[in-house]
Amino acid sequence: MERRDFLKISAVTGATAALDGCGKPDVQLIRFIPEEELTPGVAVWKPSICTMCPAGCGLMVRVMEGDAEVVRNGTLGLMKMGLAKKLEGNPHHPVNRGKLCPRGQAGIQVTYHPDRIKNPLKRAGPRGSGGFQEIGWEEALEELTAKLTQLRSSGQESGLAFMTKPLRGQRRELIERLLRAFGAPPPVVFEPFDEAVLRHANLLSFGRPQLPTFDLARSNYVISFGADFLGAWNSPVAQNLAYGEMRQGRPGQRGKFVMVEPRMSQTGANADEWIPTRPGTEGVLALGLAHVIINEKLRPPDAAGHAGSLIDGWSKGLIEYTPAVVEKQTGVPAATITRIARELAEHEPAVAIVGGAPLAQTNGLASALAVNALNALLGSVAKAGGIIFSPPSTPGKDVTTVVREPRAGFESLHHTLARQKSGEASAFQVLLLYECNPLFATPPGWSVKEALQRIPFIASFGSFVDETSALADLILPDHSPLESWLDDEAESGTPHGVNSLAAPAMRPLHNTRPMPDVLLDVASRLGGSVAAALPFKTFEEMLRGAFEHFLKGKGGKPVMDPDTFWKEVQEQGGLWSDTEISFHGLGGIDHAPVQPGEPGFDGAPEEFPFHFHPFPSASFYDGSTAHLPWLQEMPDPLSTAMWSSWVEINPKTAERLGIQQGDQVEVASQHGKLQAPALISPGIAPDVVAMPAGQGHENFTRYASGRGANPISILAPMIVPETGSLAWAATRVRITRLGEGKLVLFAGGLREQIHEHKHR
Amino acid sequence: MEKSPNQITDDLLRPLLQTSPRFFMAVALLGALVVAAFGAFFYQAYSGIGVSGLRWPVFWGFYITNFVFWIGISHAGTLISAILRLANATWRRPVTRCAEVITVFALSIGALFPVIHLGRPWLAFWLIPYPSERTIWPNFRSPLVWDFFAINTYLIGSVAFLTLPIIPDWATVRDKADGWRKRIYTILALGWRGTPKQWHRLESAMHIMAIAIIPVAVSVHSIVSWDFAMANVPMWHSTIFAPYFVAGAIFSGIAGLIIAMAFLRKFLHLEDYLRPIHFENLGKLLLMMSLLWFYFVFSERLTTWYGNEPSEMAVFWSTQSGAYAPLFWTMVFCNFLLPFPILAIKKLRTITGTVIASLGVVVGMWLERFLIIVPSLARKYLPYSWGSYSPTWVEITITVGTFAGMALLYLLFSKAVPIISIWEFKLGQHKKAEAAPVVEAKPVVAEQG
Amino acid sequence: METRPKHKWGMIVDLDRCTGCEACVVACHAENNIATVGEEEAAKGRAKHWMRVERYYEGEFPDVKVKFVPVFCQQCDAAPCEPVCPTYASYHTEEGLNGQVYNRCIGTRYCANACPYTVRFFNFFNPIWEKPFHLQLNPDVSVREVGVMEKCTFCVQRIKAAEIQAQAEKRDLKDGEFQTACAQACPAKALVFGDLNDPESEVSRLTASNRGTKLLEDLGTLPSVTYLQRDSWHDGKKS
Repeated sequence: MERRDFLKISAVTGATAALDGCGKPDVQLIRFIPEEELTPGVAVWKPSICTMCPAGCGLMVRVMEGDAEVVRNGTLGLMKMGLAKKLEGNPHHPVNRGKLCPRGQAGIQVTYHPDRIKNPLKRAGPRGSGGFQEIGWEEALEELTAKLTQLRSSGQESGLAFMTKPLRGQRRELIERLLRAFGAPPPVVFEPFDEAVLRHANLLSFGRPQLPTFDLARSNYVISFGADFLGAWNSPVAQNLAYGEMRQGRPGQRGKFVMVEPRMSQTGANADEWIPTRPGTEGVLALGLAHVIINEKLRPPDAAGHAGSLIDGWSKGLIEYTPAVVEKQTGVPAATITRIARELAEHEPAVAIVGGAPLAQTNGLASALAVNALNALLGSVAKAGGIIFSPPSTPGKDVTTVVREPRAGFESLHHTLARQKSGEASAFQVLLLYECNPLFATPPGWSVKEALQRIPFIASFGSFVDETSALADLILPDHSPLESWLDDEAESGTPHGVNSLAAPAMRPLHNTRPMPDVLLDVASRLGGSVAAALPFKTFEEMLRGAFEHFLKGKGGKPVMDPDTFWKEVQEQGGLWSDTEISFHGLGGIDHAPVQPGEPGFDGAPEEFPFHFHPFPSASFYDGSTAHLPWLQEMPDPLSTAMWSSWVEINPKTAERLGIQQGDQVEVASQHGKLQAPALISPGIAPDVVAMPAGQGHENFTRYASGRGANPISILAPMIVPETGSLAWAATRVRITRLGEGKLVLFAGGLREQIHEHKHR
Repeated sequence: MEKSPNQITDDLLRPLLQTSPRFFMAVALLGALVVAAFGAFFYQAYSGIGVSGLRWPVFWGFYITNFVFWIGISHAGTLISAILRLANATWRRPVTRCAEVITVFALSIGALFPVIHLGRPWLAFWLIPYPSERTIWPNFRSPLVWDFFAINTYLIGSVAFLTLPIIPDWATVRDKADGWRKRIYTILALGWRGTPKQWHRLESAMHIMAIAIIPVAVSVHSIVSWDFAMANVPMWHSTIFAPYFVAGAIFSGIAGLIIAMAFLRKFLHLEDYLRPIHFENLGKLLLMMSLLWFYFVFSERLTTWYGNEPSEMAVFWSTQSGAYAPLFWTMVFCNFLLPFPILAIKKLRTITGTVIASLGVVVGMWLERFLIIVPSLARKYLPYSWGSYSPTWVEITITVGTFAGMALLYLLFSKAVPIISIWEFKLGQHKKAEAAPVVEAKPVVAEQG
Repeated sequence: METRPKHKWGMIVDLDRCTGCEACVVACHAENNIATVGEEEAAKGRAKHWMRVERYYEGEFPDVKVKFVPVFCQQCDAAPCEPVCPTYASYHTEEGLNGQVYNRCIGTRYCANACPYTVRFFNFFNPIWEKPFHLQLNPDVSVREVGVMEKCTFCVQRIKAAEIQAQAEKRDLKDGEFQTACAQACPAKALVFGDLNDPESEVSRLTASNRGTKLLEDLGTLPSVTYLQRDSWHDGKKS
């Protein structure tokens, strides 16, 4: 114990001793001396970064003084400390401009979650039994270091694997450097609703392996192919903000929004025109629109440039995609196709968006390339009111020349598993897990559980026990984001180059340590080349070093005092350019021309008559926020369901199958079956059934465990061949009524309304 | 065959002076149900009103239904007895006290419900205008405050209306009884000696009370109706509600009285006193009220349907053909289709007939209150917020408990007070003897064994 | 003497901007210490959402249209909830808000019945925050106990804080200086909060829009919230 700590504790135990006998155990706790000065009742706003989805919105955290039970040096005590009270958007942040989505608002519950892991844990009992015992940090770090040292001494450096959600900024830098110095393969990245297809398509069409930014605010016509851009896709807050401006932000002008999808999403619910298509034919529809535009000479075919050249038959005017043919394939009336095509061409700037289910088909890449070509044809690429690509601004690299490659150096889980199976890659000996839950979010056919079971040692940095980290041998709990140093580079959502930075908004509540600091500690314990590659005592030091690259002016001299600079960056919440940076002359990569063709589906239509359409839920995104009670109780925008899963069925289909609202139904594919209550919805095609992802956790805190059903658990292991991404919309299912079920809806009206209409 | 005054006194005092084991069994059973209801209430007060089935948006359910129902039943008494007194209907004499007692007890039970249903029942006293350090008075614009005053006024009036004519009977008991009974009844008799002056005062007091209590009774149920009609809720906000509620109250009140009289007749062996003529006459009244009730319901439904206002039609259809239709049509059956033929056909207007009709009406009128309250709340303006309601065991226990409580109070009262006014009955016989001896009904007095 | 109150708080809901994302709903929970009730209670219809986004379907597949309508306390000038409260727990504040004094509420739930918008929520049980969720509670907002009615307050704690601040600095409040939690969060800027007595404020400007309507206007409740109706597409022009 340090002298200062001794003084702290002894000073206060004297005072609390007098209070003994008050009866309540919590007033008998040791009272620590506050670590920071705050005026009681006065709120302080501190910038932070939202980590609830990959959009990277800027936050302002309202911090007020309060009494918290905390652990300091292994002792539990009460401390007056700054406590985060509310999250709001950072008004200056170029991505979200002060706004925040529901998941972002609920992010504060991560910090205060009662089921957070409060101490390092070591597995007790057989793996997966869920038994853990609390251990000290020193013991935990020793154990991890020992495992890594053992790998190194036996020459098995390539047996170390790091599995993570997609990372950006200095966390990614740190992990990559560590793995490289250790001699391990690059990190394995896992994201349930993988955007690899779109990034790859953008690389091919435009030379940018990046999610696009949509300048909707200045757009006059928006057509979305499956992208739930107002819900949970890409950069939803930025897109909502821009969408509002498109609708009512310009005097006398209002853009039109057309949505193409087989199941009405929250985004589709806002459309001026909603067009259902057969699943997997969205690319065909895009080419049908392009055909009309070219055929009616509204644009010359070569306006599409390189992006057009990637489509088979483009230069000949897409003669195979006449409205009549496209109608047959997509189910969209030919007249509608012609009309929409004309409207698109006549209302510049118009923009086409593609994302979500169309890209999760076996022909996903071709569909994305088709929409990219349509955008290029409309002249909407890298233009105001069209699609643009956020400029890169990685610290230490020249802002204007680097093409950001978010996936470079990462490998997808599916590819890794495939290469291991074929013996191409060596088996993992030690796995480090960070912020991803592949066990929950991969189809059973990928056999991730079996693959993980074979790994001799797994350590997790998770803050919660979930399906995957339940298999860990060691859990080194991370600080919550609000307790951590954070940085981020938004991939999309803004035409400004953004480097967000945040100091901890509050002190840690539990005996946790930030993952980057743990890695730095382990690196220094490992010594040698690993320690040399990461010569930082703390992550803060590493961040500061990275940000100071921005200080260098033309001649390499700092433009201001580094301390002042560092303070100002923290106060602002990061660094961003004041002006919009736009890119002209986007290149592309040559590739053999493609056609969307027929999408492949798992399951014969006779036996499995319905397309299964899982979708990221408005509350739970991919399931990683299902543990937050605010989001569990938030009514789903369309179904108004709370705390539950549901299966969306068209009213006619339901009537045919004798299914009523709320009935328990079984959804079965060739790969599994699940049960959930039926929700009769007019916004879904008769041959499609849809289900939100995110529920059905076996093991994920008291609020999510055993609740609802997980649609991913019945998906076929179909992939998009070019990227190895899961084709999560390519499974066919059958549905059977089981009996009465329980559907918790906030809107009481729907059921009675239907019921009484029938009676009249 | 007329009974001698002494025999009348003996007959009518018998329940006070002799107690059978059956009485104790009945008290034990009813008491257990009442205790269960109190238990349920305390459980609810301790845990929160969430243990009931109430929910958003149906914030009022069984409790307020019971409230309106019991306040309605209370109209049996005082109102009927006062009207019959003023109309000088001579057949009323054995009936008035039974009826007045119903009023007092039903009103007391009914008045409990606004407290039972409170989110924080321990603060119910905030309805009383008392000088507080916060200088806050109740909100006199609130119909609930009107209720508070109306019900209390009616309760005080009814107690006086009931008690005044008991005084001579208590004096009779005092003279007949001995031991501890004598001491108690001596106090209750308030020194009644039966002097002409005392008789005169009693007569004029009863006359004033009879006149005064009628507007009070009408106002009470009008105000209860305004609890609903004042709120801008579809199918609540109606001008017909006050007379509709008053008519309904008298309707259910008469039914309640007929049932109570039938029980008294059977269990206290009052066959000679509560005769078929009484049931027949009350049956005729009930028939009239049934027709009046049907007229009100028809009028309310017709104007709503013809008006075709969307928010009202949502409620309308939910009761006519939607979720609440089974209850609605049961109500129509119980309140009209069942009692109308029974009461309209003279042959069926027997004691059994009127009791069956009355049982129907009690059930039907309870449903009517429920159907006024719940469907409207479940179908307010914005369809998104529509909901439903079903009670839990807590509400059911409390509801059953109040019926048991009513029976228990009635039972205990009939032990303490002659349930048929001895002096009034004798007076009636005396007057009848003075006038030409007209047989007012078929002599169907059962032969006593 | 100036008798007219200085401020008259009002809100705009632009239905053409609203995308139904529910950010306002969660923001309201976070700001106003609204406890979640859990699945069982939610199934009984006891979830408390001072702010809700109503969703209405029109038409049948494939011609389906959806309307999102955020509904919260309309802070009516002629509020049906106020006169019916027997204890003055529901009352009209000087600035025209429908105040709810939690301590004075005895739980008759009459106000909730009288409210045509069904925006009042009742504490059927004591609210529960499983530790350490309680550390997130906003110290500026009281926690409501069992048996008490609650509803949207237009974030009165924010109004008061801003007024006191402006008073201390001897200046007038600026439009947009503070907002309700829902309007602050709203990603599409569908919700706008401000002072209707300030003719220059954005809320005043938008209230005059030809798309402006009141919710259930014919009931005569004189709401302080104006709904701007959903626009349609006229070849790129506004209607």
